[in-house]
Amino acid sequence: MTPVKAEPVQSKTGGRLYILHRVAILLACAAIFYPGFNPGRITTQINRNVSLFTASISYSSLVSNLERALLRGWVQKSTFVLLMLSSLVIVIGIILCAVGGCMSVGNRRMQRAGLWFPLGGSVIMAGGLAGIYMALVQIVYANTEKVPACMPMGFTLFAVLAAAIFFTTVLLIIADRRNKTALEEKMQMQEKYHLFLLLLPILALAFVFSYLPLWGWRYAFFDYKAGGELTAANFVGFKWFTILFQNETTRGDILRVLRNTLAMSALGIATSWLPMAFAIFLTQVKSKRFRRFVQNFTTIPNFLGWVIIYAVALAIFSTDGFINNFINNILGGSANTNYLMSGSHMWLKMLLWGMWKGLGWSAIIYISSITGIDPTLYEAAEVDGANRFQKMWNVTVPCLLPTFFVLLLMSIANVLSNGMEQYLVFSNPTNANTLEVLDLYVYNLGIGNGQIPMSTAIGMFKSVISVILLFGANTVSKKLRGESII
Amino acid sequence: MAKTKRTGIRRDNSVGDKVFNVVNITFFTLFTLICIFPFYYLLINTISNNDLVGKNLITLVPKGIHFSNYVALKDVADFGNSVLVTVSRTILGTTLMVLVSAFAGYLTTKHELWHRSLWYRALVITMYFNAGMIPWYLNMAGLGLTDNYWGYIIPGLVAPYNIILVKTYIESIPPSLEESATIDGASAMKVFTNIILPLSKPILATIAVFGAVANWNSLQDSLILMSNSPQLYTMQHRLWMYLNTSSNLAAAMQSGGSVSSGMLNTKVIKYTISMVTIIPIMLVYPFMQRYFEEGIMLGAVKG
Repeated sequence: MTPVKAEPVQSKTGGRLYILHRVAILLACAAIFYPGFNPGRITTQINRNVSLFTASISYSSLVSNLERALLRGWVQKSTFVLLMLSSLVIVIGIILCAVGGCMSVGNRRMQRAGLWFPLGGSVIMAGGLAGIYMALVQIVYANTEKVPACMPMGFTLFAVLAAAIFFTTVLLIIADRRNKTALEEKMQMQEKYHLFLLLLPILALAFVFSYLPLWGWRYAFFDYKAGGELTAANFVGFKWFTILFQNETTRGDILRVLRNTLAMSALGIATSWLPMAFAIFLTQVKSKRFRRFVQNFTTIPNFLGWVIIYAVALAIFSTDGFINNFINNILGGSANTNYLMSGSHMWLKMLLWGMWKGLGWSAIIYISSITGIDPTLYEAAEVDGANRFQKMWNVTVPCLLPTFFVLLLMSIANVLSNGMEQYLVFSNPTNANTLEVLDLYVYNLGIGNGQIPMSTAIGMFKSVISVILLFGANTVSKKLRGESII
Repeated sequence: MAKTKRTGIRRDNSVGDKVFNVVNITFFTLFTLICIFPFYYLLINTISNNDLVGKNLITLVPKGIHFSNYVALKDVADFGNSVLVTVSRTILGTTLMVLVSAFAGYLTTKHELWHRSLWYRALVITMYFNAGMIPWYLNMAGLGLTDNYWGYIIPGLVAPYNIILVKTYIESIPPSLEESATIDGASAMKVFTNIILPLSKPILATIAVFGAVANWNSLQDSLILMSNSPQLYTMQHRLWMYLNTSSNLAAAMQSGGSVSSGMLNTKVIKYTISMVTIIPIMLVYPFMQRYFEEGIMLGAVKG
């Protein structure tokens, strides 16, 4: 497939039909990964998390809930083998359609050759659907209450898609035969489409994992319980949003976690100059070996997860930890305080843990910037009679300010997102009041208590406010520095 | 990063200067000690006589050194399993993420790409905006990726920040190299595998190192996605459970039959497990440090 510059020959009507054709193929490709559209869920006993794709490659997940039914002989194993093979056949059919869809962006010769794939693919899909139907009939005849048969919604969807692909392909083949313009000598595709097809799988992944979750915002408008379904009956409109502001306890909770979130972010911002100071003072040390030593060991904690930091905290501060041991064994006292079981000064403690983990690492960026400062600036300052501190304050600091400013703006934009892992691992009954931040609250509420709609609503607020803050910070940066930070 | 000669520092020998030097060096020595000591303390408690550790008698120096605690860990069944999960996801997840980032980074440098800037922006925006944890979880559940090992791997494949880093790096490679290959008739894929991949090794190493550390330390996705599949818990998740409730650990030890090995002391085994999760990072750190530092500098250039 060498790049060509010439426009592919393509009839106008064919173009429209091709769009329909490709959309049908794309939908089919997407639907095989979505368990809700599994056409093979012919009994409610099949795991609801199994997609057509999973069913086609993994017999064990297909029958994961059916072991007993198979053992007792309520249903035949052959039924499910048939089901799996049929699923595999449908997947193969869709892969063929996808190949044809990709070839449809090539030149006419390639398009013509490519049309055979969806023609065959859609017929194969129909065959697979017939196989699933036979398996369904077998389950209906088995007629046990334990394994009730049902017609899955995905079956209709895939039948419609197969039909759509088949008919668009037939029409396109007819249009292609009628088009008497000469074919090119070789199959070719314009480079721009070729590259796009290569990028397409990556875009699809980004769409599925970053954009599709937005569709989940609809849960905030329903009275949804885990495992239930969204129906017109449990649509509640803005109920959760009004509860958020009107319900006394909820409002109290929100205010509490917001206070914790903002306080800890504010402490972080107020101390955000410390890495810069760390870097400036460290570069004042004469011995290169010492600087290297400090840099190496102070950056290590940054690469350890918060669970390990918590393990360290336990080893040092718990009842049988280092501090108590030190007092008892070295100083000869008798102490058994568990310093972690106390809710006092949580904000400060969290700040200190964050600093222990991150200070050395955050300083690296400034250390590198200092190495890059033009030495003539220092020489000029020396000529003017500046002493060491005057040089640090009047040369080094101004040179580092742009970096500091960018990082500061970013931390202001992230004021609501201080992550949850640190606060989760350190939380215990005594400190929940002053430790719980917004991210952790959403986690506890949604995953812990199963209050999906409410936690989704709070998450929506957070996402929107974060974006506004980010754009605000960006505007400030553009105004002051003429550069954007995103 | 510290280059050979520190410029601009004249060595004054005034008293104030000397005091400053002493205070400065003392501070950094202390801070470094605070950073290292906890790991030393954990270590000496895992290799000292278990009875002494149980009586809280090991404070500054190890006594009765032995390494049987590390050997005995093999009997803690759940933990061994979680190590497998974490190691495999670190290797598999990181490799795939690097390949995807490299490929996406390369494609987005190609001006011929159909609607290039649109797709690039669509990838970058996901860095700044997300729907939130719960919608993400619901989406994963809908895709069948909860209680499923692939739930660790697939969502991490497209890492927008790494794509930006790779793209910026590839843009700095002289275009003539690629052009000459294209003239010789090499396809985009061939240019990618034969020219771009070898030339962008430094940046790929950097994102690989960061990706591996993130996988190694992963807790959140294990907590959210795998709640019904204890066999899929990551190492950090297991460690956290052991740290929180000794009964978890006692149960695991009993099922593994390690009671006979004299490790009744849950404190020792907690410390040993912690060390096992720390040691690999400590071991690779010196070799990887260059890449860590390059990574943060690249981020700064981008920022």
